[in-house]
Amino acid sequence: MEPAIRTEHLTKIFGGRLIAVNDMSLEIPRGSIFGLLGPNGAGKTTTFRLLLGLQRPSAGRAEVFGRPCGANAVVVRGMIGYLPTHPKLPGNLTPIEYLDLLGRLCRLPREVRRPRFASLLRAVGLLGATDQRIRTFSTGMATRLGIAASLVNDPPLLLWDEPTAGLDPAARRFTLDLIRELGKNRTIVVSTHILADIDRICDHVGVMHEGRMIFNGPMRDMKLRLRRDDFSLDLEGSGQEIGRLAQQAGDLEGVDVRVEADQTLLVRISDVHSRARALAEVLKMVDAANLLLQDLRCGQNETENAYLQLLQEDEAHGFQRFDFDAGHADDAISGDPPA
Amino acid sequence: MMPFLAILRHDLRGLGASWLVRLWLAATALLTLVMTLSQWQATPSAVLIASLLFPYLVFPWFFVVIILGVGPVSGSRSESLADGILSRPVARHEYLLASWLSRVVLVLGIYLTVVAPAILVLVLANRPAPDDTVTVYGILAALGAAALVMTLQVSLGFLLGTLLRKPFLAVVVLVFVWYPINLTLHTFSLEEFSPISLNQALPTLLRQPWRQSEEDQQTETDEEPMGWLGQTGHFLETLAPVPEKSVQQDPTFYDRGDFSDFFLPRVILGYGIPTLAAVALATLCFCWRDL
Repeated sequence: MEPAIRTEHLTKIFGGRLIAVNDMSLEIPRGSIFGLLGPNGAGKTTTFRLLLGLQRPSAGRAEVFGRPCGANAVVVRGMIGYLPTHPKLPGNLTPIEYLDLLGRLCRLPREVRRPRFASLLRAVGLLGATDQRIRTFSTGMATRLGIAASLVNDPPLLLWDEPTAGLDPAARRFTLDLIRELGKNRTIVVSTHILADIDRICDHVGVMHEGRMIFNGPMRDMKLRLRRDDFSLDLEGSGQEIGRLAQQAGDLEGVDVRVEADQTLLVRISDVHSRARALAEVLKMVDAANLLLQDLRCGQNETENAYLQLLQEDEAHGFQRFDFDAGHADDAISGDPPA
Repeated sequence: MMPFLAILRHDLRGLGASWLVRLWLAATALLTLVMTLSQWQATPSAVLIASLLFPYLVFPWFFVVIILGVGPVSGSRSESLADGILSRPVARHEYLLASWLSRVVLVLGIYLTVVAPAILVLVLANRPAPDDTVTVYGILAALGAAALVMTLQVSLGFLLGTLLRKPFLAVVVLVFVWYPINLTLHTFSLEEFSPISLNQALPTLLRQPWRQSEEDQQTETDEEPMGWLGQTGHFLETLAPVPEKSVQQDPTFYDRGDFSDFFLPRVILGYGIPTLAAVALATLCFCWRDL
C-alpha cells in the first residue's frame, strides 16, 4: 500500500547558506501516528512546509498519498490538515466566520460547511466562544481553533506542528487525547520536542537532527536502542556509607556503579550477566549497609534517553555521517538498534 | 471560483476595517469638498473636474494607493497568509489575483464614491462660472482614464511588494520610480502616458463628444488657461527637470499645451498593458517563491 508520505533525498537549502533539510528519505505508513522529534532548528517545520508546497525543495521530492507535492499541488493540500505552531488567525473574525472562510477555500458546499462547523467547535470546546472575536482568544483557545481549522475538510492526513506548545496541562491533555482519537482513522504527523507527548500518543517516530533524519521506525524500536541495564537507586543515609556501598558493589562482576547527586546510586549491568542476580546482590548490600531504599527506577525516561542517545551518536559519528553511497538513506530509515 | 470569491470577500472586509482606508475615505471626501467649494464660482467645469482628479493621479493619494498595493504578499502578512490560506487547497495565482482585485475594487470604489457625486453636482448645478461644454462621454472617459492610472499604481505596488517582500522598501522604490517618470516618458516622446500630462489633457478629453472625427479633433483647439492645475503640473515638472535641448527639438503633445492629439485608446493601452504585465509578473514571481 502507498505510504501516506514518502520523501526521497528531500533537501532544502535557504539562500545557499542554511541547510534546513538534509537529504531526507522517509516513509510514513498510512494510519500511523508519527512523531517527528528534534531539537529547535532541526528542520521539522521546514519539512512540513515542503510537504505543503509552501517552500520548494532544493533537491529531492516529496509525495503525499502518491501525489507529488509542490506550490500548485492543490489536490495534495486538500488531503492535508495543517496546524502551524501558534497559528496566526485573523483577529477580526469570529470562529464561525473563520471556519466558513476555510470551508470556502476547501470548496465545501454550504450544506456541508454549516453542520460541520458546529460539530467541530463542539469537539474542540469552543461552542461557548462563537460570538467572540478571535483576537480575544487565549493561546489555548487559538490552538483549539487551529485544530478545528485543520479538520474543516476532514483530511486523511494531519500535519500538526507542536500542537501542545504553550498549552496548560488540561489543554495539553485534551489535545493529546484528541490526537489519539483522530489517529484511529487518519494518518497524523506530530512535530514536537516534548518527548512525553510522543511517548503517550505515537506508534512511529522519526528523529531529526541538523536537517537529517537520524532515526525512523516504530516507537518500540526506538526504545530498544536505550541501554536497559541502568538502574537508579535513591538511598537515604550518610554520604560515606553510600560511597562505601558503591565501592563494594562495583567489585561485583559485570556491575558498574557510581554515585550521582550524593544520594543516588546508578547501577549499570553488562549484557552478559544476569540482571536480576546482579541487582539482587546490590540490594542485599544496601540492606546490609543499613541504608534506606527510597526509590528504584529502571530507565528513568526511556524515550528521552533514547532520543538523547541518538543525538549524541549522531554528533559523535562526525565525518562518518557523510554518505558516500547513494543508498545511504536506508541507514536512517532503519529502526534497528546500533551494534 | 469559490476560493477566489472567498479570498476576495475576506480581503475586502479586512481592508474596509483598516484605519488607513477609513482615514483615506474621510480625507479624500474632505479634500474634494474643499476643492469644489473653493473653485465653485469661477472655474470652468472641465478644469474643475480635472483638478478634482489631480490628487488621485499625482499627489497625494498615490501614496495611499501604493501602500494598499504592496501589502498582501509582503512583510509579516506573507507568513500569516501561508499559515492561514496558502496551506489550504488554494492555488497561489487564485490568492494573488483575488488580493489584487480586492485592492483595485476598494481603490476604485472609494475614488468613484467620492468623485462621481461631486462631478454630478458640478455638471447639474447652475454655477456662476463661465460656460463649458463638458460631455457625458468626456466625463466617463476621464473617470475611466484616472481609474486606469490608479489600477496601474495598485499593480505596480503589488509587483514591487512581491519582488522586494519588504513593504517600506517597495513604497520607497515606487516613489522614486513614479515621480521621475515624466523625464523618462519625455525622452521617448510618450508624455501622454505621464499622469501629470494626462491630468493636463483631461479638460480636452472632458469636452470631447462621442465619436468625434479625427479631423474635428485636429481643428478643435483648447486655448483655455489651465489655472492652478496647469501651474501645479509645471511645478511638478520642475521636480523632474527635462533636458533643455530635447524640449526645444521635440515640441509635441506635452509642449504645445493644447492636447488636441489626445487619443484615448492609446492612453488605455499605455496604462493597460503595463498593468497586465505587472500583475502577470507578480503572479509568476509569487508562484515560484518560498513562503
